[in-house]
Amino acid sequence: MQIRVEQLKLKYENFELSVDSLLFAASRVSVLIGPNGAGKSTLLRTLAGLTRPAAGSIFLDGRELSSLRGLERARLVSYVPQEHEAGFNFRVFDYILLGRSGYLNIFSPPAKADYEKTEEVISYLGLEALARRKLQELSSGERRIILIARALAQDSRIILLDEPTTFLDLRHEMEIINLLRKLAEDQDRTIITSVHSIDLIPRLADFLVMIKKGRILAAGPAREIFNAQLLEALFDYPLRVVEAEGRQLILR
Amino acid sequence: MIGLSIKNRKRAILHTAILFPLVLLLISLSLGTLKISLREVLEILLARISGGPSALLASPMANIVLNIRLPRVILALLAGAAFSVSGASLQSLFRNPLVNEYILGVSFGAGFGAAASLVLLSRNFPPQVLAFVCGLLAVALVLTISGGARNTLVAVLLTGIIVSALFQALLSALEFVASPYALQALFFWLLGSFSQATWPDLLWSAPLILAGLALLLKMGWRINALSLSDDEASSLGLAVKRERILIICLTTLITSAVVSIAGIIGWVGLIVPHAVRGLVGADNRLVLPVSAGFGASLMLLADDLIRTLSPFEFPVGILTSLVGIPFFLFLIKRGKASWS
Repeated sequence: MQIRVEQLKLKYENFELSVDSLLFAASRVSVLIGPNGAGKSTLLRTLAGLTRPAAGSIFLDGRELSSLRGLERARLVSYVPQEHEAGFNFRVFDYILLGRSGYLNIFSPPAKADYEKTEEVISYLGLEALARRKLQELSSGERRIILIARALAQDSRIILLDEPTTFLDLRHEMEIINLLRKLAEDQDRTIITSVHSIDLIPRLADFLVMIKKGRILAAGPAREIFNAQLLEALFDYPLRVVEAEGRQLILR
Repeated sequence: MIGLSIKNRKRAILHTAILFPLVLLLISLSLGTLKISLREVLEILLARISGGPSALLASPMANIVLNIRLPRVILALLAGAAFSVSGASLQSLFRNPLVNEYILGVSFGAGFGAAASLVLLSRNFPPQVLAFVCGLLAVALVLTISGGARNTLVAVLLTGIIVSALFQALLSALEFVASPYALQALFFWLLGSFSQATWPDLLWSAPLILAGLALLLKMGWRINALSLSDDEASSLGLAVKRERILIICLTTLITSAVVSIAGIIGWVGLIVPHAVRGLVGADNRLVLPVSAGFGASLMLLADDLIRTLSPFEFPVGILTSLVGIPFFLFLIKRGKASWS
């Protein structure tokens, strides 16, 4: 499922973001990068239907996002916030099971099918050891994975993530990068994520969107636009991109 | 099946929470100035249920059990369940383990509404109506002034105190204009007590409380989802605002139905859900029913203590405050640890 954005204008306090036209292809990993405050999170929240744009349209395979009701939208798009906000100390299994809530009537507890879907997600991600533990016993890296697991239980074709790797150690960072690739390649999910560290982009992105001060600086296949000139212009900082062992590395 | 095995482990606690208040109900009926054995209590109840004309039912002992003790015991059970379930639901909704209907000003709003109904309207008009309206008004005021459902604890607590003070002032104004006869009734009722419970009172309140409790218990899973951040709950497909308002209305309904006949009894809705979460975890599918059972039992035990130990009718509302306030301070001091 693809997302098409047209003549989008977003206003958030004093901040404005406008996007003329943008296409996030189906079953690909699209990455949003840009300096702090450029508008990545605002764009993601708008794509998730959490804030309404001031103008313009967002189409999911031709269906307009603003015309979808809560549940219809939840089946198509899920949103993974950057951090799990401290709340009640749920068991990991139940927390992932919460991903099924949109499928349930307000008075219904989860049914057998919801338990099965949750078990399936847990075994797909290899989380059996964590499932019985409580959220607050987990490391922040484990909690990010659980947030993604909840989105998988929600079982939407599109998954939006807000900086899923920020503040994580190297191993958890790579675990999440590899998982996002796998979701796009093996499960045909459309992944749109912002990342903080540009070093990850060559490993992660099919498609790259560079956002600066509320404007799209460049958008295109990552292979083509991931270069020193554009990155320098994006971050206002001199850097070089070198090739080593067939990979692109950033020197700053 | 990880999920199901977790469910099985906690079934025992759930069963205890249902059975305990029932056993306690029988014991409570035998307690009092006139000692009536458990066996006699059972015989009277069975005679009443089977409906046959029996000499036993005409005895003064049966009158005490059925018309004095039974409504009182049922009201205490319903009150404990209502305060505890409403506390547990509101805590999840506000993602704040210290919130409850008392702190949100609902109790004093409902108290004022019921008193106004008694003083200004006919005594035959059910006080539950005005109690509910004013309870809703109080919580709406707290939410508007503090700026929405997701504020810092301090903002909600402070506005709760202010709104409660407002309704207390209104109550005082009401007492000022009330007739001496109404004033005396108001005084005892406001302190919070089950001693005045009668069947006609329960006829209005009990169905409201039971219906509200049933709906809230059925929404246990939904309340879990609503305890997530607004963005998360909304992206899961929930109509966050509408559903939150529905739950606030239901908790206000059951609280005001109790307050309008038992007066203002605070703190139960804070202590019970907290203890229950320590026992069964955070899942409201369990927290709500177990809180209902344990809350009902605790309230009844407190009333039994008063009935058997004190020579005069010590108001149960004062007792719960004396126990609840130190507990509340302890939770605040302990800070974040109270989330589980």
